[in-house]
Amino acid sequence: MASGIAPSPQPIELAVRSQGLDKIFPNGFQALSKVDLSVSKGEVVVIMGPSGSGKSTLIRTFNGLETIQGGHLEVLGHHLDADNNQKVVSRIRRHVGMVFQQFNLFPHLSILENVTLAPIWVQKRDRQDVKERALALLDHVGIREQAHKYPSQLSGGQQQRVAIARALALSPRLMLFDEPTSALDPEKVKEVLETIRALAAEGMTMVVVTHEVGFAREVADRVVFMDEGTIVEEASPQTFFTDPKEERSQLFLSRIL
Amino acid sequence: MGESPRSGSGSRQLLLRIRRGLFASPLDTVITVVLAVLCGGGLWSFFHWVVLQADWAVVVENVRLYLHGRFPVEQVGRSWSWLGLLGALFLVTLMPARMLPRPVLRLLPLLWILILPIGLLLLAGGLGLEPVKSRFWGGLQLSLLLTLGTVLMALPLGILLALARRSSLPLLRWLTTGYIELTRGMPLIAVLFFGQLMIPLFLPEGWTFNRVLRAVLSLGFFVGAYMAEDVRGGLQAIPRTQLEAARSLGLSPLLTIALVELPQALRTALPSLANQCVASLQSTSLLAYLGLIELLGISRSILGNPDYLGRHLEVYIWLALLYWAVCILMTSLARRLERGLNVTGHH
Repeated sequence: MASGIAPSPQPIELAVRSQGLDKIFPNGFQALSKVDLSVSKGEVVVIMGPSGSGKSTLIRTFNGLETIQGGHLEVLGHHLDADNNQKVVSRIRRHVGMVFQQFNLFPHLSILENVTLAPIWVQKRDRQDVKERALALLDHVGIREQAHKYPSQLSGGQQQRVAIARALALSPRLMLFDEPTSALDPEKVKEVLETIRALAAEGMTMVVVTHEVGFAREVADRVVFMDEGTIVEEASPQTFFTDPKEERSQLFLSRIL
Repeated sequence: MGESPRSGSGSRQLLLRIRRGLFASPLDTVITVVLAVLCGGGLWSFFHWVVLQADWAVVVENVRLYLHGRFPVEQVGRSWSWLGLLGALFLVTLMPARMLPRPVLRLLPLLWILILPIGLLLLAGGLGLEPVKSRFWGGLQLSLLLTLGTVLMALPLGILLALARRSSLPLLRWLTTGYIELTRGMPLIAVLFFGQLMIPLFLPEGWTFNRVLRAVLSLGFFVGAYMAEDVRGGLQAIPRTQLEAARSLGLSPLLTIALVELPQALRTALPSLANQCVASLQSTSLLAYLGLIELLGISRSILGNPDYLGRHLEVYIWLALLYWAVCILMTSLARRLERGLNVTGHH
């Protein structure tokens, strides 16, 4: 107090901020209603909820795979609303990596080509640099030896790790994971979660839709529970898994734990 | 007794299989014998005719005509060069990929495109070669030129039409759908007739328009409509999730088509596209009825020669062999492509 100059409070930088987000599919189904969610830089947010609760739809709005019908969305400083501008969306996609449930690797390209495709064609970077970095990334996720194979020759777990490397090749500032382990054999789940955990340890901002309670407990800074297109509860993992406030959260946890 | 079928010797096993497959019951035996007598008799009389009764002079004495049509005798080396280049390109492409140096492998698609202008130059003349009018082109040389020209025109056209047919612009979509449906609804002979006989009537006085080019244009527009549907089928087989992956990586719509959709769609469509290529070769024979002396046309005019009166059978068997040989080459090329492009999904 005596020193006189109070440090001005550092504003927490947000990676994602959604306000009153509405998503209505063309068939009239309202997948999201009035969703407010903020994700700070460096934060790991895990979204849980029963199927059909809108959790995948929510993160798909973050990189413009789903348009929004109401509300406002700010991703890495770019603003999106209902009259979704394609230019803004493509600017957002340059900095947001996404990993899908079904991996979605390109079957006609080798593992290495899958990883180098976007850096070469979207970022127009030097081929040799891109290739070296891609090999380093594949090394990082433990599949450098398979670089010249094709996706169909790899196991599900390996394919998903390639998909993560492919998303990382664009040096994203935000990573979205849409049920990354749901399509995997149980014994392959661990290797993929390890990769995501390592990424979190490096300080990557991540939003992860998953049913893996153990993973959420250990890695998440915050758990968001959704049901019927709305956010029901937000809490730290300890609080959420041991002392959920809402009845719907309790019901959900009683089913999966 | 006690001897399992597996332990028997090879020939014994064969005998057992023959007995089980062909002579299992009295009725089977009767059917087998009757069919064997019919087939054997047919084959016997066919070979008897081929060796003893047929007069192959009509083929042997006219090999030059079958291959080059009425191409001027003193220039026939040029026609040979074109056939030779095409044959060499076929053989190189059919070689196992690992036996070819990388640069050659990369150049192959370009060579297949360049072979057409090279062929045109060799046949038509120019650049120091004496000009030869297109009405002197003919025989196998012309059939292959027509086929290659048709395929090289129809494939890009088919791809563009397939893409336009799923465009988000309604007008473009309606126009291409209309074009494809209309073309598929017309008999090819009518399209060729229009191209060969009607177009010249509509052109201003004094304009001429090479009739080989007219034929290639008509065939190309026709086959292109069919290829468009094959490519469209390939595009539809791509899961939506592939497009989402491409979009989330920031690929523009154009890049998504070029790098993700078309490579996959063309792999899927390859067997049907190969089918269209073979059909194009067979379709060129219709031009014989419109005054082009390609393989069938020249054969008809050879048969018109009183020396070879009544030798239809010999000529048509020979033609069947020639067309069949070219088809075999084309289909083996397609199989080679299928393997090289990993169509089956395994490496």
